[in-house]
Amino acid sequence: MHEDQILVALVGNPNSGKTSLFNKFVGANQKVGNFSGVTVEKYEGVIKHRGFKIRIIDLPGTYSLTTYSPEEIITREYILYQKPDVVVNVVDTTNLERNLFLTTQLIDIEANLIVALNMYDEIEAQKTEIDLDQLEKLIGTHFIPTSATHGKGISDILDHIVDLYTGKINIKKNKLSFSATMEGFIERLANILSTDPELSEKYSPRWLAIKLLVSDKDVYKLVKDNPIWVKVNDILMEALHTTKKEFDSDPELMLKEERFALIRGAIKETVKFAPKKKKTVTEVIDSILINRITGLPLFMFFMWLIFQMTFTLGNAPMEWLQHFFDWLGSAVGEIITEPTARSIIVDGIISGVGGVLVYLPNIMILFFALSFLEGTGYMARAAFVIDKVMHKVGLHGKSFIPMVTGFGCSVPAFMATRTLKNKSDRITTLLIIPFMSCSAKFPVYVLIAGTFFAASEAGNILFLIYLLGILIALFTARLLKSAVFHDDSEPFVMELPPYRMPSFRILVLQMWQKASIYLRKAGTIIMAASILIWIASNYPISEDIKTEYEQFRNDVTLSDKYNEDEKAATLTKLELQEAGKQLEYSFIGRLGKWIEPIVAPLGFDWKLGIALITGIAAKEIVVSTMGTLYSLGNVDETSQDLHDKLLANPNYNKAVALALMVFVLLYIPCFAASIVFHREAGKWKWTLFYAGYTMTVAWVMAFITYNISKIFFL
Amino acid sequence: MISRISYCGTDQKGKIVDIDGGIGAVENIRSLGLEIGDEVTVRSRQNGRGKIHVVKNGTEILIGHELSTKILVECVEQPKITLDKIKVGDAVKVVKMGAKGDIRYRLLDMGLVKGVKLKVVRVAPLGDPMEVFINGFYLSLRIEEAANIDVEIVKIHKGNGHSKKRWGLF
Ligand SMILES: Nc1nc2c(ncn2[C@@H]2O[C@H](COP(=O)(O)OP(=O)(O)OP(=O)(O)O)[C@@H](O)[C@H]2O)c(=O)[nH]1
Repeated sequence: MHEDQILVALVGNPNSGKTSLFNKFVGANQKVGNFSGVTVEKYEGVIKHRGFKIRIIDLPGTYSLTTYSPEEIITREYILYQKPDVVVNVVDTTNLERNLFLTTQLIDIEANLIVALNMYDEIEAQKTEIDLDQLEKLIGTHFIPTSATHGKGISDILDHIVDLYTGKINIKKNKLSFSATMEGFIERLANILSTDPELSEKYSPRWLAIKLLVSDKDVYKLVKDNPIWVKVNDILMEALHTTKKEFDSDPELMLKEERFALIRGAIKETVKFAPKKKKTVTEVIDSILINRITGLPLFMFFMWLIFQMTFTLGNAPMEWLQHFFDWLGSAVGEIITEPTARSIIVDGIISGVGGVLVYLPNIMILFFALSFLEGTGYMARAAFVIDKVMHKVGLHGKSFIPMVTGFGCSVPAFMATRTLKNKSDRITTLLIIPFMSCSAKFPVYVLIAGTFFAASEAGNILFLIYLLGILIALFTARLLKSAVFHDDSEPFVMELPPYRMPSFRILVLQMWQKASIYLRKAGTIIMAASILIWIASNYPISEDIKTEYEQFRNDVTLSDKYNEDEKAATLTKLELQEAGKQLEYSFIGRLGKWIEPIVAPLGFDWKLGIALITGIAAKEIVVSTMGTLYSLGNVDETSQDLHDKLLANPNYNKAVALALMVFVLLYIPCFAASIVFHREAGKWKWTLFYAGYTMTVAWVMAFITYNISKIFFL
Repeated sequence: MISRISYCGTDQKGKIVDIDGGIGAVENIRSLGLEIGDEVTVRSRQNGRGKIHVVKNGTEILIGHELSTKILVECVEQPKITLDKIKVGDAVKVVKMGAKGDIRYRLLDMGLVKGVKLKVVRVAPLGDPMEVFINGFYLSLRIEEAANIDVEIVKIHKGNGHSKKRWGLF
């Protein structure tokens, strides 16, 4: 048994089969985490082979090693600074030309490289022939045919990893040369760079030279402050000048063109393509799925399907979970007799954490569906179809799916922004999701619209509310993109990969990994927050109110004016009234009264203030708090009594009702969602902006709504 | 070299060799006074999808954009044209990558370098972005991004007029 562990990184283009191969290597033996500082998932696992411990890291899929996307930066920095012992470059062999471009960059960076020619089964099925020996000679590294789906070539790769590590085989460095002109510049730069001990210890001088010539910002920064910079800069200027004068080009273009020319040459020499079939499966499917006429309706249908699956199919298990937590609450409540401890555990922790955990089925279904769309290749097409609309507000086509999901629940919607690679696109999408009216706000609308408007009007009002949310979302996106980020959306240079059937096992695995990230959050921060909210709404307790109501209850019990049924009814009523009074007395109640001057211009009184504050815990609670405050029985959205109470209150009218709905639509999402937002946005700066912006927009819009509708209705 | 007259620039000369369309298109073109075999010169053209002025034996003829894409001409010089103007089905070769910044890196890394051949596969249902076939894979890019890529015509794909009818069946 060897002591040492071999560190292996898997690198490759998106859709090259990296994930499939990784799963074949490590099986269920994998851990998922995040790369530090970014929400890009990091998968790793440890296996044993021929007595060696091999630790495999699956790096995110990338086309290149520049620094234009988080994936590229992560991959590049991992190779530069973690210095994996072996880098396995997973290549989609059916698409050699583009895939080998990354390979050549990995050779430039002097990684200890072996290449897995994945999807070799398809190559064989096509009857394409590849001269592997010749390819190895030309490129200088080892090429091993694999098929992740058929499990072929796996142990071959592992053998090569161990052999390369132990020095039994090696790879030839600097095999890929450029034209004489460019090699001249590279050599001169490398010579100067190697005189700097600090730089040459960490990086390969040749790699630095190439990167300087392609004007790589990060390498530029690295070298700029060194004393050798003057000499380096002279040569760079000369290169710029020479390429312009002699080739009407620039060093970057020249190097990339030469790279592709070299790859094309190598492919020509080693690959014998089978005659192309008339139409591939992908072409046929695409001619239906994204054609001019059916493309858009089918896209809408798929979005609708995801939405339905997530929120309709997810509803049943959600209810089971709800019942389970109710049952758990009462079961635990029976065991614990001490009232304060019982209340904190049952009303605080179990209902708080339970309220978050009930979303788990929806999250799992949504992520299964999203992974499926991504895995089959339709996701890229969906973005292709809808990009024009999204681009109008400065976003990328892929932002559409998180936005639609936001109509169901913001929690999975925030998590779905992970499919967006561009940072500003992602933050913008995160910030507009709160305005897509989530399903928890629905009961509030039903109660308010149903109370103050005729049934025939209520439907239109609901529609207008949803529409307002969408408009505010689009406006926000425009605003953020032009005023805050100053950049356009990510370029839409995107591959439309061939359609493939994703592996069910991997889909389930990915779904579970996403769910577990959510679960871990529920177990920690959300639990703490639940306790906090519970304390704020239960303390301090007024002894005066308590004794007063005990007195009332005594009077009722002893009185002979009522029969037994009436007594019971009056007692429940008194209990609710007491709860209302105590809530008014609690911290949250005081906060509600304290903010009354802030919400007064919207036509709200302190009761609505409290209801809105408690709504931050979860939007449905707005309705039940109003119930408590108006001291009624168990309130739900159709409770006639609450309707009457609200209508009887002289402070409330149609204008207030509209303002209230607008406010509920736009103000900060529930606590669970806000935590997830913070996690996905990653910086306090954004979370604070999110809270401030949603609150401001809600206030301003409610104010406008109130004052305009006052003109119409009063 | 065969090109569409819609691709041709000001002062470019060409001889009409074919009509890429059905009987209707042929009739329309005839009614403008144009015939197969005519020598025409482009006088001026409006931007984007605008009309095009051509001169035949001294008389000026105005052709609408749709119709102008259906007139195939044999010309001596390659038209100077950018990728965004290319009609679905036509094959082109990259002459110059004019894109700047972020997009430039993306395009170069995807293999859109000088000399590479590509074919326009389709345009999205809403008219943007477009899809091209390059080096064995399908790539999508926005029209505004394609506008920075200078191309030359490799092969005109005849039969656009017919395939449009077939789409209607789906
Ligand atoms: N025929 C065939 N299909 C494969 C092979 N390896 C992977 N696939 C399929 O190719 C698709 C993409 O594979 P993934 O493993 O998700 O690719 P990836 O490189 O991890 O993609 P990203 O997660 O986007 O980086 C899946 O549908 C796989 O089933 C293979 O060797 N042969």
